Amino acid sequence: MRDRYSRKTLIWEVLLLLLAIAFCLPLYLLVSISLKPPQELFTSPLTFPTDLHFENFSRAWQARNSGGMASAMISSVIITVGSVATLIVIGSLSAYAIARRPGKLSATLYTLFVIGIIVPFQLTVLPLFVLFRSLGLIGTYLGMIILWVGILTPLTVFLYTGFVRTIPRDYEEAARMDGAGLVRTYVQVVFPLLRPITGTVAILTGLFIWNDFFASLIFLGGSGRETLPVAIYSFVGEYLTQWNLVFAAVVIALAPLLVFFLIAQKQMIRGFSGGIRG
Amino acid sequence: MASIHLKNVGKRYPDGNRAVIDLNLDIADGDFMVLVGPSGCGKTTALRMVAGLEEISEGEIHLGGELINDVEPGKRDIAMVFQNYALYPHMSVFENIAFPLLSQGVPRAERRDRVERTAAVLGISDMLDRKPRTLSGGQRQRVAMGRAIVREPQAFLMDEPLSNLDAKLRVQMRSEISRIQAELGITTIYVTHDQVEAMTMGTRIAVMRKGVLQQEGSPEVIYGQPANLFVAAFIGSPGMNFVTAELSRRGDDLVLGIGPQELVLPPKTLAQRPALLEHESGSIVIGIRPEHLSLPPTDNSAKLKATVERSEMLGAERLLHVSISAKPVSADEIMEAAEEVSAAAPAMLQDGSKGDEVALIARIDPSIVPQPGSTVELGVGLDRLHFFDLESGRAVL
Ligand SMILES: Nc1ncnc2c1ncn2[C@@H]1O[C@H](COP(=O)(O)OP(=O)(O)OP(=O)(O)O)[C@@H](O)[C@H]1O
Ligand SMILES: [Mg+2]
Repeated sequence: MRDRYSRKTLIWEVLLLLLAIAFCLPLYLLVSISLKPPQELFTSPLTFPTDLHFENFSRAWQARNSGGMASAMISSVIITVGSVATLIVIGSLSAYAIARRPGKLSATLYTLFVIGIIVPFQLTVLPLFVLFRSLGLIGTYLGMIILWVGILTPLTVFLYTGFVRTIPRDYEEAARMDGAGLVRTYVQVVFPLLRPITGTVAILTGLFIWNDFFASLIFLGGSGRETLPVAIYSFVGEYLTQWNLVFAAVVIALAPLLVFFLIAQKQMIRGFSGGIRG
Repeated sequence: MASIHLKNVGKRYPDGNRAVIDLNLDIADGDFMVLVGPSGCGKTTALRMVAGLEEISEGEIHLGGELINDVEPGKRDIAMVFQNYALYPHMSVFENIAFPLLSQGVPRAERRDRVERTAAVLGISDMLDRKPRTLSGGQRQRVAMGRAIVREPQAFLMDEPLSNLDAKLRVQMRSEISRIQAELGITTIYVTHDQVEAMTMGTRIAVMRKGVLQQEGSPEVIYGQPANLFVAAFIGSPGMNFVTAELSRRGDDLVLGIGPQELVLPPKTLAQRPALLEHESGSIVIGIRPEHLSLPPTDNSAKLKATVERSEMLGAERLLHVSISAKPVSADEIMEAAEEVSAAAPAMLQDGSKGDEVALIARIDPSIVPQPGSTVELGVGLDRLHFFDLESGRAVL
């Protein structure tokens, strides 16, 4: 047999390594700048910091703008967790009904949801803002959660429907034969089988909501309940030259996401590749 | 425990497909009824109608004398074992078996008790904490059985529960399922396309083809008195030999012309099958089981000259493949039944039976080693012959 490590393999490896480095570069810059003293920022922005200024993080955390980082973190967590949890409940239930009850109604609903994915959010901002204002939902957590659930339900239903269709009906039929009602069947049998796609949905929608700037600025601006991206943005005005603090704030905002990613990673990959194994 | 009655049951799928047609079955309390037939004949559909998972288009199904057409599956008190077991992957073996009890609201302590007793019966007591993913095929099969029997239901339904197991395990689980069913005495409907499973497990067998029940009876009756060509060809391995014969009367005797050879039927045969007279001076299909062709012929049996093609040594017996000159039977029924045994079988049948040659198989003593190409005289058990109408394929009785 010929040596399996051929020249072609080597070229592939080098290319992929370069690609990986390219992807890591922004992260490196983010972290390294967040650890630099302000002077070093402009003299040598790309080098590794000479000494590590961890106090940047505490300074960023304690800065008092738009209610401060701590309050922004709380807002972000409440809005993201609340929205994602609601999305999972509503999305999986709707998708289950659509996938398991064939007929005109299901097909129509499904089409509607797909259209909902396509319509750009920006188009709907103005009417939504007017509507939310008259309902008194501007600047509230509930308003934001309703907004996100509305925007992301189509995508959630789309993802869940595709996955439910890959689950053999046998599980539900077995539960039915075993005398389980609809609720017990859903809660104890179907929903656990959806775990991989639930992970995917949680990560996709969670990222989207956590990182959003535009909608949060419009619907929460000036309320004191701004989310992290808005709070960090207001940093830029206040500490115009202190990019190291801005970067430190971004790192802080990223941290919860990274932790969540590490936990849910395995689920997500299974969700993307689809299917389940008994 | 209860009897099950199907009365003129039919199934019409929304696409117009008639999967089951006018099915009548009486399954007595404690019976092990096997539904057998080739792929697509409607076995699963029939079973799912009894389970309540498929709507009944026509007819009535009674369980223990009670009409259950409109009863929810969970309320029918019937347990089902699925082909792929359908074990809940996120639950442990214990939770899987306990699941039906949970729905019934059985208290916690009793639940544990019953699950443990069931696990002991099935020999899976040491696996209760494991997830189905970590079990072998045979172990999963047992868990699926456990989930069914823990409820002590009125009836069991099983849809090809052994088809995912390897050959050895299948034989083992076959007797295990039979043992458990006999011990519990629970009325069972078991679906399979494997006629060996049907013969070894069933106390009753129902043979289906294209949605229509062909014959229902004990394994002995199904094997010994097949009602038509399809049942005759489908049951038995190797299958029954078929050949076209000319029936004629000579004096008081009926004579079978098989190619150039003649067999004189004893008067007893005519007495047993008076309908043979209607086929006098006409063609008829005769069927001979391989074990009713003997070599050397017994003293008082009729003799048939044949050319040896080859032989298969199976250990306890030898399968002797011979050919005789006669007119082959190429009825659809036989082809379809042969296909179920192996996909290549119909081609072999046609190959082996070209024009005026018919291939036969005889089950003989392994110590006899006939030379390929030689001519032998086979004994034919005339009182064991089967006769079928050439047109309708129905047995002539
Ligand atoms: N949901 C359905 N809609 C339409 N036709 C169906 C449906 N399910 C089954 N059929 C058809 O009904 C017939 C009987 O199917 P069924 O599954 O009962 O066969 P089977 O005897 O169990 O076969 P197998 O041994 O392959 O499992 C087949 O022709 C099949 O194509
Ligand atoms: Mg089937």
